[in-house]
Amino acid sequence: MNQTAPAQSIIYGMGTVISSKVFGEQAKEALKAAEEEVVRLEGLLSRFLPESEISRINNSAGICYEKISSETYEVLLRADEYSKCCPGCFDVTVAPLIDLWRNARGTAKPPDKSVIKRILSQVDYTNLIINPCEKAVYLKSTGQFLDLGGIGKGFAADLILKVFKKYEVSSAFTNFGGNVAAIGTKPDGSPWRIGIQHPRNENSIIGIVAIVNQSVVTSGDYQQYFIGNNNKRYHHILNPSTGYPSESGLVSATIIADSSVAADALSTILFIAGMNKGIELLKSFPETEAILIDKDLQVYITQGLKECFQTVERVKINILDPII
Amino acid sequence: MTGLVIALVIIMLLGIGGAIGWLFLSKEHNEARNLSLDGVDFSRLKDGTYIGEYEGGMYKWRANKAKVVISSGKVIDIELLSSSDPGAKNTDQIALYDRVIDAQSLEVDAISGATLTSKAYLKAVESALEQAKK
Repeated sequence: MNQTAPAQSIIYGMGTVISSKVFGEQAKEALKAAEEEVVRLEGLLSRFLPESEISRINNSAGICYEKISSETYEVLLRADEYSKCCPGCFDVTVAPLIDLWRNARGTAKPPDKSVIKRILSQVDYTNLIINPCEKAVYLKSTGQFLDLGGIGKGFAADLILKVFKKYEVSSAFTNFGGNVAAIGTKPDGSPWRIGIQHPRNENSIIGIVAIVNQSVVTSGDYQQYFIGNNNKRYHHILNPSTGYPSESGLVSATIIADSSVAADALSTILFIAGMNKGIELLKSFPETEAILIDKDLQVYITQGLKECFQTVERVKINILDPII
Repeated sequence: MTGLVIALVIIMLLGIGGAIGWLFLSKEHNEARNLSLDGVDFSRLKDGTYIGEYEGGMYKWRANKAKVVISSGKVIDIELLSSSDPGAKNTDQIALYDRVIDAQSLEVDAISGATLTSKAYLKAVESALEQAKK
């Protein structure tokens, strides 16, 4: 393997900061191609770009089917799978609710109960009809629209790694706005060391997980939030069954999985499901590990992480019972 | 009178002895103070158990031996094996060694779940922009 200096890049795309580090003879070319891939994917998947495929589907809600590319089809199919296997915890049609709460952040006041109830009635993933033969999708009701918030970055990170591999890269990582995905090990054969953001201390990490060929994604209540009059924290991860920011007792949920799309979706799902239900859900996803942090900043990890997770500053680690 | 002279001579001798002693002591202190730690690249550690030794300066007063255990590329344990300082107990060094373990443990390749607004990201962007300037 080429052990020369890595090529690195930091770009802005898909509404976030993407930093990558690539080792290999064609590292620079790989990074350039990855940048183009980010632009291409954003053009397909962003609901904020009027020409994107997701915008097209949203504009045709209640009207007609829209034919889409295999990438958009794939990500919607995955979103649909997660919505089905984790009901009430994941919904790709949650966008109207997201917008409602995003506006509320500006005023630091939660939206009216009645408004939440009305908007919540538009959130229903079963209204997303997917036609696999035609690779076309249709949103049944006018006023519904899609947002790939809980899955899009992970999906894109997987595709970025695919681009790297095309350039024969066997050691790299991309950090897609906090979604980390890695190819292989570092050039010296040691695992990648990924810090887990401390949920209450912006400038520090709470632990480090060592990964090889895996992705690490964390969902936490510490991003994009406001504190209401009642001193309550209204954060950005919305429970699609209540219409309110999730209150599961967890402040952070991290998933380590072979694919970033799985880690992305499942970190959101576990964050919303909470400790007990979340662990139960994990049973359906073999080779998937979790780091869960509750309100008291107690850290819980699944068995598979025993050897590859460490906390900093003597934070105690609780090891969850084996998932059977 | 003779007694006084003897007393003075003794005082003088003690003084000279002290001054010479101090001279040696301060030399040794200076040496210890200026001891440079060259830094270790924590990202390039091979697994295993290693014994490290320091000969302890010009008078060997600070000689000591430590055992360092490296697993999965990181320092997981440091133990004081022996020391020429009779007052040194392994427990005294634990706090110091723990700091070494902590310091290396903070070296990460990337951070999962860091916010978009987090200063770390802004710093990264800033440094990228700095490079772009050149």
